[in-house]
Amino acid sequence: MITLTAPAHGDEFSAPTPNELFDLPPLIPGVEWFTKPVLLAVLSAILVIGLTWAAFSKPKLVPRGMQNVVEYGYMFVRDQVARPFLGKDADRFMGLLVTLFFLVLVWNLAGVIPVVQFPVASHIAFPAVLALSIYVLKIWLGIKHQGLGGYFKNMMFPPGLPKAIYVLLSPIEFLSNMIIAPFTHAVRLFANMFAGHMLLAFFSMVGFWFLFEKLTPLGAPVGIVGVVMTIIFTGFEIFIQFLQAFLFAMLASMYIGGSLHAEH
Amino acid sequence: MWSIPSYLLAGMIVYGAIGWLLDRWLDTSAFFPIGTVLGLMLAGYLAYRKFSR
Repeated sequence: MITLTAPAHGDEFSAPTPNELFDLPPLIPGVEWFTKPVLLAVLSAILVIGLTWAAFSKPKLVPRGMQNVVEYGYMFVRDQVARPFLGKDADRFMGLLVTLFFLVLVWNLAGVIPVVQFPVASHIAFPAVLALSIYVLKIWLGIKHQGLGGYFKNMMFPPGLPKAIYVLLSPIEFLSNMIIAPFTHAVRLFANMFAGHMLLAFFSMVGFWFLFEKLTPLGAPVGIVGVVMTIIFTGFEIFIQFLQAFLFAMLASMYIGGSLHAEH
Repeated sequence: MWSIPSYLLAGMIVYGAIGWLLDRWLDTSAFFPIGTVLGLMLAGYLAYRKFSR
């Protein structure tokens, strides 16, 4: 299934396939890499830079307008994401965490903004690059703050376990921290956005098909259910998108915190 | 707390892989499921010890 098949609109309803939804043609013919998610990723970055610039380029003691709004976001990231895991080091990493949170949030919200309607993170390359950079940062900080041997010793031999069982548990710790953790970090965001986009596309397709394309007395109620479900799931999706952006930044903060201080 | 799923997964993968290899070498079929369940139990124990304090 490499070729992009045109939607098979016969007489029967057919659910949108992942190929139709996610395998998008290039925006400029000939430039293969320049697709819709790439454009949206760049626009989101520009939007985040613009927003924070508008808010904090001339900061005032009593915040007004844009500064007020973005400051709420900043304080949310500081109090909910950074401080619980980083403690007194929180301020050092606020730049990174605020950028991550806002960027992922705008990427996700692109999935429900009318006309745009494509969550950037539903292409795994985008969250994978973010997760990989956090992974590199995590290992670098760990080696810098705990030493090469100390970092791996603290990671693989957590204190407070009976000696004999370390042989059994160290491989689990190693695999979990070094391979599974960065993988799930990226996949958690990707899978949520992918599935959410599929659901929304499916229900709006049901509504569109049974109310506009093939309006029949028996099909009309199904179409109405489709429209209602689209509305409900759009609300639910906005919640999930916010939650996933928060989780992505929170996990990044957790990994950084784990590298700065050994567990005790 | 958010790393518990990755512990459980890692436990199943490590001991499942060991069991799978044992099965290949010894030409049996019992060690893969045993290893998977054992890994899950060990990972659950590890998560319990780490996060129950």
